[in-house]
Parts: sequence; structure tokens; C-alpha cells
Amino acid sequence: MVICILAFLWIITTILTGIGTFNAELLTTSALQGGYFEMIVGTIYLFLGAAAIAGPIGVFAAIYLVEYAPSGKITRIIDQAINNLAGVPSIIIGLFGYTLFSRQLGFDISLLSGWLTLSIMILPIVIRGSEEAIRIVPKAFKEAALGLGATKWKAISLTTLIAAAPGIVTSVILGIARVAGETAAILFTSSVIMTRGTPSSPLEPVMALSFNMYVKIVARGEGPESVFDIALILFLIVVTFSLVAIILRIYYRRKQPWLS
Amino acid sequence: MTYADKIDIRKLNIWFGEKHVIRGVDLKIKANAVTAIMGPSGCGKSTMLRAFNRMNDVIKSCKTTGDVFIGGKNVYQKNTNVYDLRRQVGMVFQKPNPLPKSIYENVAFGPKIHKMAKGKSLDAIVEKSLRSAALWEEVHDRLNDSAFDLSGGQQQRLCIARALAVNPEVILMDEPCSALDPAATAKIEQLIRILSSDYTVVIVTHNMQQASRVSDYTVFLYLGKIIERGETKGIFENPQHELTEEYITGQFG
Amino acid sequence: MSNKKLIQLSSFFLKLKSQPMTAVLFLCASFSIIILFLMLFFVAQEGAYAFTQFGSDLLFGMRWDLESNIFGGLPLLFGSLMVTFGALIIAIPIGVSTSIFVSEVLPFYLRDPIKSIIELLASIPSVLYGFIGLLVVVPFIQDVFGLPSGQTALTASAILSIMTIPTIVSVSGEIISAVPKNYKEAALGLGATKWETIKSVVLPISKSGILASIMLGFGRAVGETIAVSMVSGNQAHIASSYFEAIYTIPSFIATHMGEAAVGSTEYSALFGLGLILLIITFIVNTLADVVVKRGVHQ
Repeated sequence: MVICILAFLWIITTILTGIGTFNAELLTTSALQGGYFEMIVGTIYLFLGAAAIAGPIGVFAAIYLVEYAPSGKITRIIDQAINNLAGVPSIIIGLFGYTLFSRQLGFDISLLSGWLTLSIMILPIVIRGSEEAIRIVPKAFKEAALGLGATKWKAISLTTLIAAAPGIVTSVILGIARVAGETAAILFTSSVIMTRGTPSSPLEPVMALSFNMYVKIVARGEGPESVFDIALILFLIVVTFSLVAIILRIYYRRKQPWLS
Repeated sequence: MTYADKIDIRKLNIWFGEKHVIRGVDLKIKANAVTAIMGPSGCGKSTMLRAFNRMNDVIKSCKTTGDVFIGGKNVYQKNTNVYDLRRQVGMVFQKPNPLPKSIYENVAFGPKIHKMAKGKSLDAIVEKSLRSAALWEEVHDRLNDSAFDLSGGQQQRLCIARALAVNPEVILMDEPCSALDPAATAKIEQLIRILSSDYTVVIVTHNMQQASRVSDYTVFLYLGKIIERGETKGIFENPQHELTEEYITGQFG
Repeated sequence: MSNKKLIQLSSFFLKLKSQPMTAVLFLCASFSIIILFLMLFFVAQEGAYAFTQFGSDLLFGMRWDLESNIFGGLPLLFGSLMVTFGALIIAIPIGVSTSIFVSEVLPFYLRDPIKSIIELLASIPSVLYGFIGLLVVVPFIQDVFGLPSGQTALTASAILSIMTIPTIVSVSGEIISAVPKNYKEAALGLGATKWETIKSVVLPISKSGILASIMLGFGRAVGETIAVSMVSGNQAHIASSYFEAIYTIPSFIATHMGEAAVGSTEYSALFGLGLILLIITFIVNTLADVVVKRGVHQ
């Protein structure tokens, strides 16, 4: 345990020494001039779109599993499928995305392919988190609504779902944190090393922080120092989202008086 | 004075899985009166109550046979609109269950989902319901506060107001005071007496004294069967059946 | 399918038809299965050609040679196993002891913060781990062991272990926290110390959950692509020591897919490797589920 903490501190100091060279102006400069603007925008576009797809599907799936699913074989299979999906290596998801979205459906290397591929990675995270959030909502709320004559869906959507909303939002944010830095899945589906400006339609390829970092190091054999800035930006984005999710979780746990 | 029968139950049988909980009950419940269903814990009182607004439908292992006529219509008929039934037959639960919303939104919930009113007329309904539940004076200046800010007794009166807001004809109460302190209980018992002039009230209770205080008619349910029924005064002063007498004198419960 | 099952299934689907909202919800829930199936189908479809050409040699053949059109993945398999094994050797003791520490020993007010830190660690993307590996660990190993390059199997194992620890800690931590209090109180009431209680009550009960967490950690490690490919040196051969560079299956796929012509034999071979990886992952994950369920029933 002590060794871990020492190693951790040493890594931090190495990182801190490199921060001095960071030039904030590069955030808004185009890549054509050595800046990072398109990469940052690309990464944001990618995770926003993926979350927009996986969010609703994941929440609906979670509602089904908690409130509607009969306890039988089909439900157990779905449950296991979600666990399996969560464990699929990201490179395989990338291969699948490339085959289905880029080639079969003809989207080529594009933002859209990236959205669809990344949403597969977010989906299990949203489903599991939303399931938990929905499960802890007291059944009394739903019952009260049913007793007043609401249909099952209305009772759930107007009471349980609203009460579970903070937890659901937290899980979506965690999903975003997961894919913001994802590389393997977008390797062949959405990203290229350089684009002319930001994409004007989802069918265009897009730059991304993680992709850029990876390709520069592995394909071009550059040393880590050359991508230090990009690493820093990516790190800040991911850590921010994770922290926001954690803080939200703590904040809403206090704010829900029915959690005794 | 004779009252018309509001609820007419015929050959009601309810099973939970293999367990035969309500065994062949025939019962008529008078309109604009308070009928108490009493009996020891676990004899099926709540189950029978929930059969009147078909809340048992929500439980998968529950099977019901027989007929329940409310206001002349059989609610177990195939084409019954269950959602409208639950508007007509309101329910107040054992543990107060306010919705996680403001006081106003709790009362407005029912009228909203049944599309009964909007805007100013909705405000009027909310006020009227809260007044009928004897809660208006205490909350009129904080309608936007969370319902959870209220005390237990106030929450239960809020649930009553919520049920009243959709204009029911019958109000079912499942041991409404068992989670409340004596002062809150007294207020609600008072409220029940007042409500009976406009609504048909059926209250389930395992508290005999409450049954004798609050109701016009009493039904003694034991192990899923009706042992005795009649005017409350008569049952408590002069029970006809041996079991009833034993229950009233506290020999079991 | 028996008649009874047919009736059950058809009444299930009839119910769906009459309630549109339920059908929509069911469809969303089934997406997971649908995606999984599609994945298996497409990857297998693209890899099928290579399997018909090379059979099991795709995995066990000694050489991967583009020019001679020979595609054998044994060096890659070897590399994957080396690195995964190396990572688990480090990750399992650290992970399990950390999870016991956090769930049982740590004072209450520290538990949530530490759990959050571990969660943060888990959310750091693979490419950043690789970056830190290149920046810090690679030079370190190069200097300490006097190697021509710090990009070795050892380096990859080290980085991979750090990435696997959060998985092991969170899954086994959940299991350990779920041990019912009254079992622990039985031991404590007889005068057992905290450590004796952990050894005699908590660990035996959590055994299957901990095993499951290790399996999930294995699955995570075996499929890890980016970080490993940045620090492992990427040489496809059967290494004789951890100080040499190696290539893992996922790293190989990632670096060679870009150049492989669509529809070529190499392309199909890469997908074939991917299929093998997918199947390994399925088996590991399903087994982990089974292990947990069997443990719960005890």
C-alpha cells in the first residue's frame, strides 16, 4: 500500500513538471496551426452524440428490467447479455462498429459511426446505474399514483422516474467519462489525424484527443512529450466528468428525504 | 333511515398463489355511511379492500373470482375502465405516501392525469380538497413546500385531500391511523365522520375502539369469512356470534 | 420446445402487443442481446474465410507473415497470456487485500472517499495510462534494468495491473460488504479479533465473489488494447523473458487493421483473432456470472 502511494506521488511530480509548458491559447487554435481546437470539439461531439443515443435507450431498458420484466428466462438472458456487453474489449466493439456502421450501412469513417459505436459502450453503464437508481425509489410513490387511477406507465414516469432522475443523470455522466478518452472504438470508425475545420455533418470524420495522442505515438513513433498537452486536456475532461458524477451522487443522496 | 347500497359484493373469492385468502364473501355496503371492516391481523381485510378498486390486479400471484358492484356497475366486468374506477373509488394507504412533490402538486396530481382541470379551476379544486381534508389552514401559505416537510398526521390528511381531489364516490381507507400518534389519529377520525355525509367510506382497522368510535356499520372478518355484520352499536353491545364476542373482549387478536 | 413453453412465450408476446409502451421498453432492454448477437455474427462472418484457410493454425501457428500469406497467431497468444498473467500476479494480491481493507478495516467516514478515488482511477482512459507508462514507467524500467528499451512485457504487465486493480477492488468490495452482519457478530461474540473474523467468516463467504472479480479482471486485462500497445514494444515473437518486447492479440489487431486491405486474407485473419478474443471474453464473463450465482445460493 505504501509503495503505491509513493509511486503515485512520483507520477504526479513528473506530470507537474511538464505542466509549465502548457499554452492555453492552443485550445482555441486550429490543428492546422498546431492547436487543439478541432480535437477538443471532436471529442465533445463524439461523447455528446453517443450519450444522446445510449441515454434514452438505457433508461427505458432499466425501467423495463426493474418494473416490467417477469422473473423468467428471457429476463435472465437480458441481464447476462448486459454483463457480457460491458466486458467486451473496446477493440472488438470498434471492429463491429466498423463492419456494421462504417461498411454495411455505408456511413464510412464518420461522426455518426463513432456515435453509434460509442453508444454501445455507454449503454451497459447507463442501464446498470439507472436500474440501481430506480430500485431504491420507494414503491409507495408508484402505488399512490396507481391508486389515483394512473396507468402503469404514467405512474412510473410521473413518480418513480422523476425521483430516480438524479441517479440516472449520474450514470449518464459516468458513461461520458468512460468514452471521452476512448481510442480503440473510434480507431476505424470515426477519426482521422487531421480534418479541415470541425465537421459540418455527422457523415464527416472527426478529430479526437485520444485518437490523436495514440496515432502520434504508435503510428508516428513520437515520444510522449509531444502529446503532453493533449494528455493534459484529456485528463482534465475525464476527471471533471467523473468528479461531477461523484459529487452529484453525494448531493442528491442528501436531498432525498425518503432515503431513511 | 335507510340508505341505498353503494357497494354490493357477491361470492368474492381471492387467492394469493395457493392461499385462499377471501372465502366466498357476500356483503352490501351502504352509501354515505362509514363501514368498518375489523378483524385480527392477516385475515384478509386489506386484501378485500383492495378488491374494490382492483388494486390487487397489480399483484401477479393474486386471483379473484366473484362480482363487485359499485353504484350498480360490476367492476370485474371485462370492459371496465380500471383507471376510471380508481378515480371513482379512492384509496388512503396505511403508511402516508405523499408523492415526492410539493403539497400543491400532490393534490393536483389526480386531476391532472385525468385531465379534469387546468389553471385557476385546478387551484380551486386543490383548495377545496385541502379544506375538506381539514388541512387548508395549516398549509395554505406554503403550498409549494415539499410534502415531506409535513408531519405524519398532516401527510395523511394530504393523502386524503389528494384522493378527494378527483371527485370519488367511495373512499377506501386501509388502517389510515396505524402509523400516527393519538392526536393525529383523533383529527383523522373526526374527519372521517364529516366525510361520510358526502362519500361512502370503508375503513379497515384492527383497532376495535376506532371501529366503534368512527363507523355506522361494522363487519367482522375472520380467516377470510364474514362472521358477523350490522350496525356498529349492535355488534359491540350485543354480538350475536361467539367468535365476535371473543374478539371484542380481547380473547384473541 | 415443449407445448407449455410455447404457450408461455406466445402469451408473453401477446401481452406486449396490447401494451405499446411495454413493447417499446422491452425492445430497449433487448438491444443488449441484439447487439451481442450482431457482434458475434459480423465478426465471425468477416473472420470465417481465415478460419477456412488456416483452421486452428490461426491461433496456434508460429508465424504471421504478410508476404507469404501465412497467418499464425501463437506469438500473439503467448504475448497476451504473458502480460495478463504478469498483471494478475500483481493485481490479485493488491486488489483483494485493498478491497478487504476498504470494506472491513477502514473507518466509516473514509470508505466513500476512498471508493470514489478508486472509481476515478477506473475511469482514466486507456490511452492516458499508456501515456503515463511511456512517460514514467518505460524510462524507469529501461534505467533500472539496463535494457536497450523500456518497452517490455514487464512494463505492459505493470501498467495493466494498475488498470485491473480497480475492477477487482470494486467487484470484490461489493461482495465483501454484503456479508451479513450477524455472521460477523457470531465470531466477534465468541471473542475473535477483527482479523480472525475476516479470515474465518468474511473470506469464506466472499470466496466466490472474489473469484468472480478475478475472472472479470482477467477479462479486462486480456482485452486491453491501447495502453498495452503503447508500452509493450510490439514485437511478435515468443519471448524468453519479461524483459523482451511482445505483442498481444488486441494490440496487434489495433495496429494492423489500418493497413489491411478490406476483404483480403490478412483482413479476415485479423477478424479471426478478434473472434477468438470475443469468445474468450464471453466465456470469462458468463463463467463469472455463474460463479457469483452459485456462491449466492450457499
